[in-house]
Amino acid sequence: MLLLKLAFRNIFRQRRRSLLTALSLGGGYILCVFSFSLSEGSYNSAISFFILDHTGHIQIHQDDYLLRPKIHKTIDDPQGLSELLDANDEIISHTLRVFAPAIAYSDTDNAPARVIGVALERERSTSTLAVKISAGVYIDDTLDAEGYYSAMIGAGIANNLNIGLDDELILISQGADGSIANDIYIVRAIVGDRTSPDRATVFLPLIAAQEFLSMVDSVHEISILLQDDGAARSVATSLQEQLPELSVAPWQVVESTFYQSMQADKQGNVFFMGFIIFIVFIGVLNTVLMSVLERTREFGVLKAIGSRPFKIALMITCETSLLASLSLIAGLLVSVPFTAWFSAVGFELAEPMNIGGIVMSHMTGEMSLYVFGAPLLLIIFFAIIISIPAGIRAARISPTEAMRSH
Amino acid sequence: MTAVISTFEVCRYFGDDQETMVKAVDRVSIEIERGEFTAIVGPSGSGKTTLLHLLGGLDNPTSGSVELSGTNIADMSGATLSDFRRDHIGFIFQSYNLIPVFSAEENIEYIMLLQGVDASERKRRVADMLQQVGLEGLGNRRPNKLSGGQQQRVAIARAMVSRPQIILADEPTANLDSKNGIALLDLMKELNQQSKMTFVFSTHDEKIMSRASRLIHMHDGEIELDELR
Ligand SMILES: Nc1ncnc2c1ncn2[C@@H]1O[C@H](COP(=O)(O)OP(=O)(O)OP(=O)(O)O)[C@@H](O)[C@H]1O
Ligand SMILES: [Mg+2]
Repeated sequence: MLLLKLAFRNIFRQRRRSLLTALSLGGGYILCVFSFSLSEGSYNSAISFFILDHTGHIQIHQDDYLLRPKIHKTIDDPQGLSELLDANDEIISHTLRVFAPAIAYSDTDNAPARVIGVALERERSTSTLAVKISAGVYIDDTLDAEGYYSAMIGAGIANNLNIGLDDELILISQGADGSIANDIYIVRAIVGDRTSPDRATVFLPLIAAQEFLSMVDSVHEISILLQDDGAARSVATSLQEQLPELSVAPWQVVESTFYQSMQADKQGNVFFMGFIIFIVFIGVLNTVLMSVLERTREFGVLKAIGSRPFKIALMITCETSLLASLSLIAGLLVSVPFTAWFSAVGFELAEPMNIGGIVMSHMTGEMSLYVFGAPLLLIIFFAIIISIPAGIRAARISPTEAMRSH
Repeated sequence: MTAVISTFEVCRYFGDDQETMVKAVDRVSIEIERGEFTAIVGPSGSGKTTLLHLLGGLDNPTSGSVELSGTNIADMSGATLSDFRRDHIGFIFQSYNLIPVFSAEENIEYIMLLQGVDASERKRRVADMLQQVGLEGLGNRRPNKLSGGQQQRVAIARAMVSRPQIILADEPTANLDSKNGIALLDLMKELNQQSKMTFVFSTHDEKIMSRASRLIHMHDGEIELDELR
């Protein structure tokens, strides 16, 4: 108790110096929290963007479809699989998809297109496709009076082919059996605008796409949305065990380019923060050593009257950690409300920023234990480390020498 | 009478080089009896401080032995030596004796805390010591709110409160004017007589040394004269 009291009073002894040290510690902490919050926040919004846009938390494919998509690499019992997935409590929803490249025609023009057949109702609850419709209505899988299926097309295709709602769209491709696939569809919705990633996509009802591509009722991809954002890897692993003949991949694998660049960037961030903290602590080390040097005589007296050397070293560690803790409390008082605002409201970027292929113009921060806790532990850790050499120095002070110095 | 501290041919040399080596203390053999009130006197540089530090286990002798109640402290070190000083030796230095961020009471209490004395006993002994050194009511002042004489009284209280076998004081009055110096020494003498606590102090001052019952005169690290009065 007296040791803590001693540490406390020693801190307040050199008010100005302690204040400066506390400012640099607290400032370093706030900087770290903001930087972590910003990077976590922007990555998390990028992640939730593509998870909801199309990726989902987990995808299931046949074989190596993810790396080398081929029309014949299909999941052949999607109904059975759907029942299994619907029964899983950890899964909110899933959707079935088929993919094929095609050429799209209107009366006057043609353009390359990417055909995606989606299980319409499941897709609506799994991805944001329905929300991305900029004109028209979300289609269903019924045939119209003339026997045509409906289609939703990217704004780029609409523009290139000069067609709009209720116009005819002709698609030509190659079926799974090698036959020439071609059919007519009626445009009922436009998706996104001319810059969105879906600009060259044609969305068809799953059954229409399967018929078009002669795929019977097989699919290429199942995309799964989970209750818990953090559970992608673990749920993927357990699904993989249940489905040994298929390939189950969490989003970290599906979006591996993004994931790897994010990991590298985060590591860089931690390194950079470590560096800033290191710089801060060079100042702290200087302060601590100086305060030991100034108190040589005092430590001499403490040792002479019987304080053990270890206790003297402990005193220095106690002082440094206490000062660091006080600075961190002040840092928390500043950074918590600011980060709360930052994560709730955020700000508009003057220039949109590209994060791993996803363009963002609105930044929000992240408010989590990691954001506050990681820099906190880092600083406490450094405070203890830095106090060791100073503590050893104080513990080694010889009382005889100390008494001779004035 | 039994010796509290005895030294045998104790030497403390500084420097390795034969030419420039300083023999701060050279082959000193003395015995300090329980209850003595002894002054070590001599010109500046004669080795008074060095001898006191050797007696108190603050410094290790180059050769010879220092025995406190039969224990040779010459080759103790680290925590053992710290604990030994804490339990058996009281120190009073010339100045800056006190921990500036502690009040007078806390300065006195600290050493008992190191000894593991329990709180109520600490409180009782602090109050008792403050009264004995005439500082009742000033216990919660920090050192910078006390005069030099008062600070030295706190130092005496701190040295005595742990109930050591001997109190070593290196020029305790050097920073005081002569009136306060004499008053401080009279207090030490009074405490010595009341409690039979052994005191060894060093001084330059004729008036101060006249209070001692034994005078050890040093010159160039050696004992020149050892007189009882
Ligand atoms: N650490 C040291 N290194 C080298 N020489 C030292 C050291 N400590 C003391 N000395 C020398 O030892 C001799 C005795 O010093 P000491 O301080 O014991 O004398 P003193 O009698 O206490 O003097 P003063 O009355 O000035 O306090 C002096 O010559 C001093 O210079
Ligand atoms: Mg001296």
